[in-house]
Amino acid sequence: MGAWTVLQERQAMLLDPAIRDWVLIPIMIVMVLVGVVRHQVTVLLNGTPKKADLKSARETKALQRGAILRAYGTHLPEHAFQARKVYLSEAFEKGTYLKDPNAGSKPKQNVMQDPAYVETMMDGMKKNMMNIIPQTVIMGWINFFFSGFVLIKLPFPLTIRFKSMLQRGIETNDMDVTWVSSLSWYFLNLFGLQSVFTLILGSGHAADAMRDMQAMSTMGMGAAAGPQMGPTGQPQDMQKIFLGEKENLELTEHEWGLDNVETRLLVKYGKKPRSVLVDYKKSKALAAAASSASHASSQAAAITASAAAGGSGRKKGKRQA
Amino acid sequence: MVSAAKVLQDLRASAERKPDVVVRLGKPLVESGAVRKLDADAWLVYEQVAIAALDTGDDALAQKCIQALEDKFPGSARVRRLHGMQLEADGKLTEAGEIYKAILNEDETNVLAAKRQVMLLRAMGLPSEAIGALVKYLDINYTDFEGWLQLADLYLDELMYAQAAFCMEEVLMLQPQNHIFHLKYAEILYTQENIPLALKQFCRVVELCKDHVRGLYGIKLCTSRLLNAAPSKSPAATSQEDLTAIDLLATERLIAVYGSGAAAAATKAVSTKWIENL
Repeated sequence: MGAWTVLQERQAMLLDPAIRDWVLIPIMIVMVLVGVVRHQVTVLLNGTPKKADLKSARETKALQRGAILRAYGTHLPEHAFQARKVYLSEAFEKGTYLKDPNAGSKPKQNVMQDPAYVETMMDGMKKNMMNIIPQTVIMGWINFFFSGFVLIKLPFPLTIRFKSMLQRGIETNDMDVTWVSSLSWYFLNLFGLQSVFTLILGSGHAADAMRDMQAMSTMGMGAAAGPQMGPTGQPQDMQKIFLGEKENLELTEHEWGLDNVETRLLVKYGKKPRSVLVDYKKSKALAAAASSASHASSQAAAITASAAAGGSGRKKGKRQA
Repeated sequence: MVSAAKVLQDLRASAERKPDVVVRLGKPLVESGAVRKLDADAWLVYEQVAIAALDTGDDALAQKCIQALEDKFPGSARVRRLHGMQLEADGKLTEAGEIYKAILNEDETNVLAAKRQVMLLRAMGLPSEAIGALVKYLDINYTDFEGWLQLADLYLDELMYAQAAFCMEEVLMLQPQNHIFHLKYAEILYTQENIPLALKQFCRVVELCKDHVRGLYGIKLCTSRLLNAAPSKSPAATSQEDLTAIDLLATERLIAVYGSGAAAAATKAVSTKWIENL
């Protein structure tokens, strides 16, 4: 306690009120104003939302259809499931749902010549510019005029680790951590004004600094409306995704959820003991094991080969999904 | 006033239509101009009230709402669709069709207009055209289970049970937890004379919703037919012993539901009230 008071007294620095009036508050006001202006400009730049393409919507929905069949196919009777499985596998194989069914055979064209791709790219660039330019300008301005300024003193003690966060631009080893430098004040504002913007502009505003960071990491690629983009920003080959989905489908075995529904119902109303259900599960597992064992004895080699192929196929499909 | 806006918002969120409630709550809002205080939500309220007013036949209110939207968003596809619905309410089906067609020509992905067009064809008494349009719509918007339900209804009107069953299967995959859809599927199967499968589906209904009377009656119908028929050889079919047990269970539950003193009195009270109000 004593050491703390000593430290306090030693660092009883007096800040000129002019610093508050001409540095601290102006920085904050400028940052708020820039945020508001940026929001308005972004709204202007966005203009009309892009029209979604009917065919690409169909493409995505078809993929979803395969996934839904795999996940919820248990609710269908055997015949209904098999019919859908066969139909979808065939359709995926032939590319019925592809945006351009004949594109698969063609060699892939340069992505830069695809107008839709270039447009998305330009859009992302524009948004990125809107984020980067004002931030760079403000940071330059602060660095140029106010570098080395100490602006405020936090009213609570902090550990030494906060030094790099709060005293950027001041290279003194033994100054107390509670003093905040101008550059750090800028960063605190950049991340802390979020809720102020929400107050002024309503939720969903475009002045959000955190979103900028995300946008920078993904290079602002909105995949919602434009062509399907992979993580690298390249359009994905839908044909391949469809083939992967087809493999997934073919590996899916149908297990009907209503197989023993009468027994379940009787158990539910207490007409049969709960152990019946357990017995049922056991007998089913036994039957499955027996059938696979008999298969294995006859054509063990073939099965392992196909299982290996299937396994790798599933892995591939997973990755693409 | 605030609470009315909140109720309307909840109704919008849960996609419930309830036109009587919406008109009762929304009419004072729109007429006193208080709706303007809701900022961005005001336009959603206008749209909601307009549709509800068309449903309840309050043409003046609908006109007022649509006019307000028209002034705010001239030429918007969503407002033009409301105009189309207004024409439909007036019985001017052809003009309404023109509007929907124009919207779809501009933007082929407009889901609202595509749906209206299907229902318009149905209202005009052109079921096969309606089915064609709806099939085209579902080919793209596969996950719209209400669309599949509508298609099932259209097929049922045409007595095309196999197709209707297919649609209900899609609905079951998209909404597996709703027993009403299972019930509908079971009834279609029963009509198709696929009794063993129908029995299983009826069992599923009762499993999902305890003492579901219609499901119990379904079970009863199926078991009585299966017990009278020759025992099936198929391994998937329900065993004779289970059939008897299920049959007994259904009878017991039906008697319990209808036969107990309180339930019987309640049923009697409801039916008396209904008859008196007739």
